[in-house]
Amino acid sequence: MTDEPSSKDSPFGAMIRELREARQAADRSYSLRQLALRVGVEPSYLSKVERGETPPPSEAKIQLLARELGEDPDLLLALAGKVSSDLQAVIRRRPQLFAALIRELKDLPDQSVLRLVREVRDGDW
Amino acid sequence: MIELRHDALEISFPELHRDARLRIDFQRTLRLPDDGREYPLPAGLGRFPLRHVDDFADRLPEAWRRHGGVLLPMYQAEAMWLNFRSPAGYPFAVKIAAGKINAASGETWREGLHRDPQDYCAVPGQPWLDGFCVAKGVVRQFVAAPLGMGATAEEQLTGEAEHGGLQILAHPLKAKIWRREKRLVFAERAESPLVEACATPVAMGLAPGGRMRQEIYADPRDLADWDQRVRARCFVHLASSLTWKSITGELPPNRPLGASSYAAAGIPWFDYYDAELKALGGAAALAGLKSTSEFEDLLPDDGEEAWVTPPIVLKDPRGRRSVREF
Repeated sequence: MTDEPSSKDSPFGAMIRELREARQAADRSYSLRQLALRVGVEPSYLSKVERGETPPPSEAKIQLLARELGEDPDLLLALAGKVSSDLQAVIRRRPQLFAALIRELKDLPDQSVLRLVREVRDGDW
Repeated sequence: MIELRHDALEISFPELHRDARLRIDFQRTLRLPDDGREYPLPAGLGRFPLRHVDDFADRLPEAWRRHGGVLLPMYQAEAMWLNFRSPAGYPFAVKIAAGKINAASGETWREGLHRDPQDYCAVPGQPWLDGFCVAKGVVRQFVAAPLGMGATAEEQLTGEAEHGGLQILAHPLKAKIWRREKRLVFAERAESPLVEACATPVAMGLAPGGRMRQEIYADPRDLADWDQRVRARCFVHLASSLTWKSITGELPPNRPLGASSYAAAGIPWFDYYDAELKALGGAAALAGLKSTSEFEDLLPDDGEEAWVTPPIVLKDPRGRRSVREF
């Protein structure tokens, strides 16, 4: 038996490692070292993140990881137990309304939630 | 805001009033012969499918992504009409343009609402719009043509094939006016039982086709009654049916019905009049447009189609729900 933390304790770390290794199989630039350099962290730090030995990095670093790994930043932020700052700003503007709305929506199927929020985008013409 | 529901644009202004909802769908229909005769209105033969441009952004030209909006598939020389419905009767001023040429006034696109000439339709008084207003009580049918042939109204009037598609702008009535009128309507209703409630997509534009009898009504309200602080806009891109599958992965609708099949099926024709409203005069710019029959490559070879005098005409007097879909 060991009490050492593993990536199983950190769904965020496990996801980052899985995504990175999947890409590394086809592209060597996704080695731990090279990805860490591109994101601007020490390779040893990224390794600890992947293994769940240290908490997930800042929102800005998670956004960079999401871009590098082709994953949705909101998903990675959620796995890291965070909410993006733009969403926080939205909620802070009308906290009671959004708290009520999110509680109202929590049990709805995805299709119903999407129908509520899907607008036809008007662009530049 | 605009949502897409059941292949219709659902425009709503919940911040103004819960009744402020307008549905616009795009009906497939019989293409009329462009022979100078005036025909009644052919029936709607089902809605064109509508999809969000954003769902297929990686397969569409940059200009389409920039415009946003929705796309629908049309066969070359296929005809369409627009179906307006305000479920609660809430009034809307709706501006419709094809290739940014206004279908009522013939002017190039301007934001906002204008009179002299009136450049919008007032709904629910105007239930349908089938084409370009070329004379008082006469429109020329909306017929799809690939951009670049010179046939579309846009190309004929501006010399450019820049925009294509359809452009829609809606402004609701001011809510305070609606609240006042609604009280009056309810008071009247008690007395009157008659009131009822991947390949590169080939971009298409709309050319003026055959002539039909349809009035675009002059707005009886003051221009100031419309709430121009708020608006809903949508660019409707017309994709060639041949490229629809490569864009969306879905099969396009079957080819449109021809005249013989239409007659054989006994599908009725329609007329609509409203004695209480006045018709707009036609737009001089639109009256001078060339006919689709002058573009030999545009129209399919349907010489075997037997054109008959429309056998049935259903009038649609005021007060009855204006259903024209078959």
